[in-house]
Amino acid sequence: MRLDRRMALSFDWLWFLSLLLLSAAGLTAIWSTTQGTGLSDYLGRQAIYICLSLLVFMVLLYFDYHVYSDYVSIAYLAGLLVLVLVLVIGRTVNANRSWLSLGFFAFQPSELMKVLVICFLAKYYAEIDRDTLEVRDLVTGGLITAIPMALVMLQGDLGTAVTFLPIYAGLSFLGGLKRKHILVLLLATAVILPAGWIMLKDYQKGRIQTVLNPSSDPQGMGYQPKQSKIAIGSGGFLGKGFKQGTQGQLGFLPARHTDFVFAVISEERGFLGSISLLGLFLFVLFRLLRAGREAKDKIGAMIPMGVFSLFLFHVVINAGMNMGLLPIAGIPLPFVSAGGSSLLSFFAGMGLAMNVSMRRFVN
Amino acid sequence: MLDLQLESSRQLMQRRLNWLVAPLVLIFVLLGMRLWWLQILQGPEYTRLAEKNRIRSIQVVAPRGPILDRNRLPLAENRPSINIALDREVMKNPDATAAFVTGMLGIPPEEFADKLRRSRRTGAYQPIVIREDADIRDVSIVEAHKREYPEILLTRVPRRLYHYGNLASHVLGYVREVSEGDLESNTFPGAKRGDLVGKFGVERAYNQCLTGLDGAREVLVDSLGRELGTVAEKEAVIGGDLQLTLDYDLQVTAETLLAGKVGAIVAMDPRNGEILAMAGAPSFNPNSLSTRITAEEWNAILNDPDHPLQNRAIQNSYPPGSIFKLVIAEAGLGEDMVDENTSVVCRGSAVFYNNLFHCWKPSGHGYVNLENAIAQSCNVFFYTLGQRLGIEKIVQHAKALGFGERTGVDLPGETAGVLPGGAPWYPGETISVSIGQGQISATPLQVLRAVSALATGGTVVTPHLLLRAERGSDGTGSWPVQQIPIQPESLQRIRAGMWASVNSSGTSHGTAIPGFDICGKTGTVQIIGAERKRTLKSDLSAFENHAWFAGFASRDVPEIAMVVFIEHGGGGGAAAAPLAKEMFQTYFDKKYSEELLTRVSGTAGGREVR
Repeated sequence: MRLDRRMALSFDWLWFLSLLLLSAAGLTAIWSTTQGTGLSDYLGRQAIYICLSLLVFMVLLYFDYHVYSDYVSIAYLAGLLVLVLVLVIGRTVNANRSWLSLGFFAFQPSELMKVLVICFLAKYYAEIDRDTLEVRDLVTGGLITAIPMALVMLQGDLGTAVTFLPIYAGLSFLGGLKRKHILVLLLATAVILPAGWIMLKDYQKGRIQTVLNPSSDPQGMGYQPKQSKIAIGSGGFLGKGFKQGTQGQLGFLPARHTDFVFAVISEERGFLGSISLLGLFLFVLFRLLRAGREAKDKIGAMIPMGVFSLFLFHVVINAGMNMGLLPIAGIPLPFVSAGGSSLLSFFAGMGLAMNVSMRRFVN
Repeated sequence: MLDLQLESSRQLMQRRLNWLVAPLVLIFVLLGMRLWWLQILQGPEYTRLAEKNRIRSIQVVAPRGPILDRNRLPLAENRPSINIALDREVMKNPDATAAFVTGMLGIPPEEFADKLRRSRRTGAYQPIVIREDADIRDVSIVEAHKREYPEILLTRVPRRLYHYGNLASHVLGYVREVSEGDLESNTFPGAKRGDLVGKFGVERAYNQCLTGLDGAREVLVDSLGRELGTVAEKEAVIGGDLQLTLDYDLQVTAETLLAGKVGAIVAMDPRNGEILAMAGAPSFNPNSLSTRITAEEWNAILNDPDHPLQNRAIQNSYPPGSIFKLVIAEAGLGEDMVDENTSVVCRGSAVFYNNLFHCWKPSGHGYVNLENAIAQSCNVFFYTLGQRLGIEKIVQHAKALGFGERTGVDLPGETAGVLPGGAPWYPGETISVSIGQGQISATPLQVLRAVSALATGGTVVTPHLLLRAERGSDGTGSWPVQQIPIQPESLQRIRAGMWASVNSSGTSHGTAIPGFDICGKTGTVQIIGAERKRTLKSDLSAFENHAWFAGFASRDVPEIAMVVFIEHGGGGGAAAAPLAKEMFQTYFDKKYSEELLTRVSGTAGGREVR
C-alpha cells in the first residue's frame, strides 16, 4: 500500500527532526575537526551520504512494509552472497577486509546486512503463531543471525559482528522467551565469553583490560580512553566552543570524526551539548518503542524492536567507550559518526520503523 | 476467536515492550551521571590535563662550564651537536618507525630494540635518544622524512669537546649519562635521568661547578608534537669556569715524554701543592668516552692489559725503591742516629740477620757518609741505618711525610699505598724496606709530596688541581698543610745529597742542567732478583725494573717538584732522570722567556690566553 494523505498526516515530524538534528550534530563535529586538516573531504562526503540516506529513507517510507517483508528472504540471501563476495574481492582497510569497492564508492555491506537481518528475523518470528518461542525457533533465529555474523567475523571486523547479537536478543525477547531458555542462554553466554576471550587478539584483550584498569598503561592501550575522558571532562558545562576544543583540534583525540565524535561534541559543546545529544538518542529510542507498541501486527512490532536493539547497542557502546566506561570497539555513534555505510543502514532502519508507525491505523 | 487471540498476543508484546522502558531510562540516567561526573565534578582536573597535553615543556640542555689551564687556556669546552630522538607518544606505527630507524638511519635492530627496552620505565613524553651526534647525512634524511615520521626528532645539544684529545685525560676525566645507580644513591644531587655528569677526573670532582642550569621552553604542540608556537622560555645557564693549576706547556712536555711508555709524570709547586702537570700513560681520548658507547667498546677499554683508564699518578702504588732512602735519611737525622761523622763502609754487600744483602754497585762504594750515600744511592749505608732505626721509626717518619695515606688530591679514586706492618714481621724485611723494596708502596703523587716536603723545609702540602672555580662549593678554598718537625741543618744535608746526585756524577746526573741547581734522587725497583733473572730465558720485559726519579729545583729556592715513574722502564738513572731534565728544561725556558717578555714589554702578567 502506497503513501496516502492520511499517512502523511501521521508522519512523525519530531522523530524525523531528531534524526536530522543528530545528523547535523555529527556534521558540525566533523566540520570542526576535519576542516583545515588532511581529512577535509570528510565533511562534503558526509553531507552527500546524508542526502543519499534521506533519499533511501523516503523511498522506504513510500511503500508499505509488508511489501518489503515479501521479498526479505531473497534480499537476505543476496546479502549473504555479497558478504561472501567481500571476503573474496573485498578491500582491506585497517586490517578489516570488510569493504566493497564500487568504483568511486567504497561500501561496507556488513552494515546494511544488519537491517536485512532485522527484517528477516522479524518476519521469521512474526510468522510463528505462538506467544513464546520454542527451541527450534530460537535455533533457526540464531542461525539467521549467526551466518552473516560469522561472515563478518571472517572479514576481521569483530566490532560489527558483535552488533548482530543485540538484534537476535531483542527480537527473541519480543518473540517470547521461556524462563528456562533465558537461563540456558545466560549459561551459554557464560561459557562462550571466556572462550571468546581466548579467541580475542592481543590488542582487543588490551582494550578490555584498559577499561577494567585505566591506569595500567596510560601511554599504550589506555591512551585513547584517557584522551577521550580528558576531552569530555575539559568541556565543562558550556564547552570550549566550535573549533576551540584543544583535544580534538590538536589531534590528541584519536578517530575524532568517527569513533570519538561524541568526545568532540562534549568538549566543544560541554555538558549542555552532550546531555542534549543523549536526550535526542533517548527520544528516538522511545519513539521506536512506541512504534513497536502501536504496530498493528506482529511483524510491525518486530521491526522497530530490532532497530531499537541495534540502535541502543550502538549508542551505549559508543558513548560508554567515549566516557571510558567500556572497551574500545570500532562501533560508530548512529547518525553522528562520519561514515556512509552506518548512516545509510540506520536511516534505512529508521525508515522501516517509521513506516510501521505511519501505517499503524491503516488496515 | 482468532481476533481475540491476536489481540491478547498483541497485548503480550506490548507488555514486553513496556518492560524495556525502565532499564532504558536507567541506562541513560547512568550515562548522564557519568557525564556530570566527568564534565562538572571532574571538569577542572580534566581541564588541567588538557592544558598539560597541549603545552609541552622542552628541556634546553645547559652546556657544561669550560675547563681551563692555569693561564686560562681552554682544555675542555662544548660544541654544538644534533641528536636524533624518538618520541614514543607520537609514534603511530612502531613497525614502520623501526623499519625507518634501522633501514634509513642504519641503526642496528638489536641496538634499537635495546634502547626501547631500556627506556620502558621512563615516561613516554620523554624522547629516547637513538643516535647521538648525528652527521649531516642522517640529519638530512630525518629532515626529508619529517612528515611521514614526525616521531623522529632532531634535538640540539651541547657536546663536551676536549680540545687536545688524550692530553691530561686522567685529570680532566670524561662525562657520561648519569647511571641508574647514581640516581638511586643521589651521587649527583639534582641530576635527572638522561643528564650528562662527570664520571672521572675533575669532571667528576667539580661536577657541581661545571654543571649548568638547564633551561626550558614551553611550546604549544599538537598531538604529533609539532610546535605551534612558544608560550614561555627560560634560557639555559652555562656551567661555571673551572680553572686548573695545570700548565699546558708542561703537560704537553710530560705527555710527549711518556709517549709509548707506561708510567706517570707529575710536576707540582712544592710551596702550595698546585699541580702543574699530571700525565699518565697510556691514556685515553675522553671525546670518544663521552658519548653513549656500546658495552663492547667499554669492555675493550676495561680489558686493555695496559689499563688506559688508570691514573697511574694516584690510582696505582708501587714500591718507591731508592727514593725511599730519602725518608730513611730524614728519619736517621730526625732520630739523631746520623751526624757529620757517621759513615759506613760499603763493600758491595753486607750480611744482616744471616742473609747477604747486595749494593747495586758490586765493587762497593767504600767509605760513604749521608750525602754520598744519597748521591750514589748506596744500599749498604741505608741497610745499616734502617737496621738501626727499626721498622717502627721508619713507619713513623714515612707516615709524617705522607706515605700510607691519601694525599687528598681533588681527584676521585686515589689509593693510599702500603706501609710496612702487620705480623709477623721479620727483621730482614726491615733491611729491604730501607731501600724501598718489599712491603712498601706509594703512588707517584705521594712520592712527589714527600720530596716536596724535603724541598720546602718540611711542609707537607695537599696536592691539588683547582686554581679557581667560578661556581659551586665543592672543595674550593683551603688546602690543609702539615709541618713536620725537622731541623733545617738536617734538610740541608739531604738536599746536598740530592744536589750531588744530579750535579756531581751521582745516579741522577741525567737530570742535570748547567746553571740550575736541580736536586733529585733516582729509584730502581727490582721486580725479581738478579739471580732469577739470569736463569730466565724468556721475554724479560714483564720483569724489567721500575724506574723512578723525584726531585725539585732549585736547591735554595724550591719552586717546582717533579716525579717521573716508568713501569718496567729499567734503571731510574737511565729511564727516568733524563725525562725529568726535559720537564725542568720546559719549566725554566718558559719561566725565563716570560720574565724576559715582561721586562721587555713592561706589562705585568704572563702569556696571552690563546
